[in-house]
Amino acid sequence: MMLTAVALSTIDKLALVACFLLGLGLWMLLPRGSSRGKAFGLVLTTVSLGLFAVRLWPLDDMVSDIVFYIMTAVTLVSAIGAVTMQSPVYCAIWFALTLLGTAGLFFFQGAQFLGVATIVVYAGAILVTFLFVLMLCNPEGHSLYDRLSWEAGLSAGTGALMTILLTWTAASVTFADARGNTVGPTIAVREEAPATIPFQSSKDAQGRNILAAQHVEKLGIELFTKHLLAVEVAGTLLLVALVGAVAIVAHGRTSGMPVITEEARRDA
Amino acid sequence: MKTDDPSVRWIDEPKLGLTGKMYLPAIIQGLAVTTKHLFGPKMTVSFPEQRPEIGNPLIYRGVHRLNKDEQGRVKCVACFLCATACPAHCIDIIAAPSPWPDRDKYCESFTIDELRCIFCGMCEEACPVDAVELTSMFDLTGRSREEMIFDKEKLLSVYDQTKDAEPMKSRVMGASP
Amino acid sequence: MLAISIEALIKIALLMGGLMTGAAYFVLLERWIAAWVQDRKGPNRVGVPLTKIKLFGLGQPLADGLKFIFKEEHTPRHVDKILFTLAPISILAAALAIYAVIPFGSVLPKDGIPGVSHQIELIVAPGIDVGMIYIFALSSIAVYGVILGGWASNSKYSLLGGLRSSAQLIAYELPMGLAIVGVVLMTGSLRLEDVIGMQAASGIWTAFSQPLGFVIFVVASFAEAARLPFDLPEAEQELVGGYHTEYAGMRLIVYLIAEFLHMITASFLIAILFLGGWHFWGITGSSTTEVTWFQAIARIVVLNIKIFGIIVFFMMIRWSWPRFRFDQLMSLAWKVMLPLGLVNLVAVACLVEYQPALESKLGAVGITASMWGIALVAWIAAGIFAPLHSDNTARKDSFVLEAESRNRGLRTTAPGQAT
Repeated sequence: MMLTAVALSTIDKLALVACFLLGLGLWMLLPRGSSRGKAFGLVLTTVSLGLFAVRLWPLDDMVSDIVFYIMTAVTLVSAIGAVTMQSPVYCAIWFALTLLGTAGLFFFQGAQFLGVATIVVYAGAILVTFLFVLMLCNPEGHSLYDRLSWEAGLSAGTGALMTILLTWTAASVTFADARGNTVGPTIAVREEAPATIPFQSSKDAQGRNILAAQHVEKLGIELFTKHLLAVEVAGTLLLVALVGAVAIVAHGRTSGMPVITEEARRDA
Repeated sequence: MKTDDPSVRWIDEPKLGLTGKMYLPAIIQGLAVTTKHLFGPKMTVSFPEQRPEIGNPLIYRGVHRLNKDEQGRVKCVACFLCATACPAHCIDIIAAPSPWPDRDKYCESFTIDELRCIFCGMCEEACPVDAVELTSMFDLTGRSREEMIFDKEKLLSVYDQTKDAEPMKSRVMGASP
Repeated sequence: MLAISIEALIKIALLMGGLMTGAAYFVLLERWIAAWVQDRKGPNRVGVPLTKIKLFGLGQPLADGLKFIFKEEHTPRHVDKILFTLAPISILAAALAIYAVIPFGSVLPKDGIPGVSHQIELIVAPGIDVGMIYIFALSSIAVYGVILGGWASNSKYSLLGGLRSSAQLIAYELPMGLAIVGVVLMTGSLRLEDVIGMQAASGIWTAFSQPLGFVIFVVASFAEAARLPFDLPEAEQELVGGYHTEYAGMRLIVYLIAEFLHMITASFLIAILFLGGWHFWGITGSSTTEVTWFQAIARIVVLNIKIFGIIVFFMMIRWSWPRFRFDQLMSLAWKVMLPLGLVNLVAVACLVEYQPALESKLGAVGITASMWGIALVAWIAAGIFAPLHSDNTARKDSFVLEAESRNRGLRTTAPGQAT
């Protein structure tokens, strides 16, 4: 409750305005059947991103500043590209770039495994499968219906709402943790990770800091002791999905390749 | 024809043995063959430094030459048989009354467009006096189209160049001189 | 910070220079070996430019590169221009970025280099703890270059090449991953340096203790690098040039360099994961912390000789073995390599369970022998039970067969057929 109160007091009008502008800009950018207002939408989105940028704080040193903000910009811009592109293939490419940016941010925070896993699972497997399907459709061939976003207003509104909530949450967590000493979360570099991770509340997690050296080993121990049940459940779920997929494919097919028998051949 | 056409006879491949099914022995076999060739003798001829061997110059069809007789006169009697036989129409002859008593005509000019020629050897076959012959010279190059149109002098000079290495085919092959 | 950046930049410069020169000269080597195997002499004319010095044709890569640079940069009218340009860039970037985590030697001694007080590790990013997954991530990014190149070209050959290639890359990543997991299980680390260190410490290369994993990995790397007998993405006889049919000039050379880099990466990985990396008995020593200058240089040389040997093997296989058909390729991946990989994984898990036995000589020999036994049995079983790849009988859809048999009153032997 207290946290919420702090959050409410800390959310500023500027962020609210920025979120609203973002929603409006996105709605204009979405493929709605006409290209009217696209340029204006682009301006609005840029302005709102700029408003967010006003609230940014400098990090430890200049190099991490540059790297972090460039990666953030890449992630955000490509995410906007991913939802506003008309051609599905371009959407997929922008989304891949978003994933790369996200992975880069994970890397930057020292979460190497998470970063690499994002690329392998999302960019390497899921999105490639998407592209595989998209490749089979003619670039000009699909109907107008496919190239439009179905609920442009609703989705842009939801996006703006989500951004507001996220900003709110992030602001409240930051301020609650830093106790007025720092303005925002300090970005952790690999070596001095333990003390500066803002979301670490319990001493327990600090004890087995999973972001230090031998990161994967620590992460593995963490996953297979503390979160064993979750890992097993997730694994079982994936197995079930796999078996289900095989069952769907195998359904209604005679097993094995049809063979022409000797007698049928002779008879023919 | 469809694959299930009754006239199609199906032939089964010979069954693979265990070594064939296991792939690795076959790979090693293949590698042995390629390795043998890797170090084996090479067939390439390093051309400008090393001339390829022409198997039988008598049946090789390279650049033409215009043969001369014992007195150094051109043997051609301007009968136009070669020009008629030529499928590429690359021979151009201008005939003139012969200054010599042993024939009526001789060729005042005899031109072969080597760029049009397909080196089929029909002119050689057609010639009744064995005047046109194909030598075993194969590296025929020029820097312009004009250079590649061989006139009488050039064709005769080819004869002078090649007569020692390749005597007139008619003699070797036993035809009338 | 600055010193570390400079060190990293020097390493990157060395690696990039080495790789690009290497790729250029491996093209020459490829042409030489192709020629020698076919009893020809191969390119031997181009030497020092503007002179008559021939140098066995060592100037050929320069001539090839110049030719590509001066060729017309033609973009067909029907292509998607942005993706058409983006595709080769992305494939080359991914192929080069892999080398951030691949060691190209061991370490340099502390003393001897002025201004450096620590051991220099011969790897661009020594801190990355997820090296092998990183390699996987980037090789899956390489698929994008192929898919996009194939799609953006807007040509049937390119599209088919792109489809084939992406299906092949995805399929063979699985057995490759299983083979790598075996190595990871044994090492307990995802770092390539640790894998070499483990092999050097015990003196047993992984290929000896995991023969099955080694074979699977080699086959999968052939497929991942799209080398013969797995070069279906660009099977010239069927697809003209595969996914880079429409490319010319610099974009084409970028694709070709990326392909060669894939092969070099595969050789690096084979050498490092299974053939002991820089380790060779009696020459290089086995400690990763204490090295002399002689050992440090010997390690680099040994690693490079191994890689060279593997690349020659790649090129020899190209002329020894015909291409697979696409369905054969797929059934090899899913029906042979994947089960074999699982067998290997289980065997390695058992091996790791008895790790202490490796300390004694007898135990090590016993375990290694049993791994070879398992490999042999599994391979023979795969040979006997796997689908016959030489089955070339014309195929019919099951409903056609059914209709025919109904018409003629004959039964087909499609097993499990209903009614």
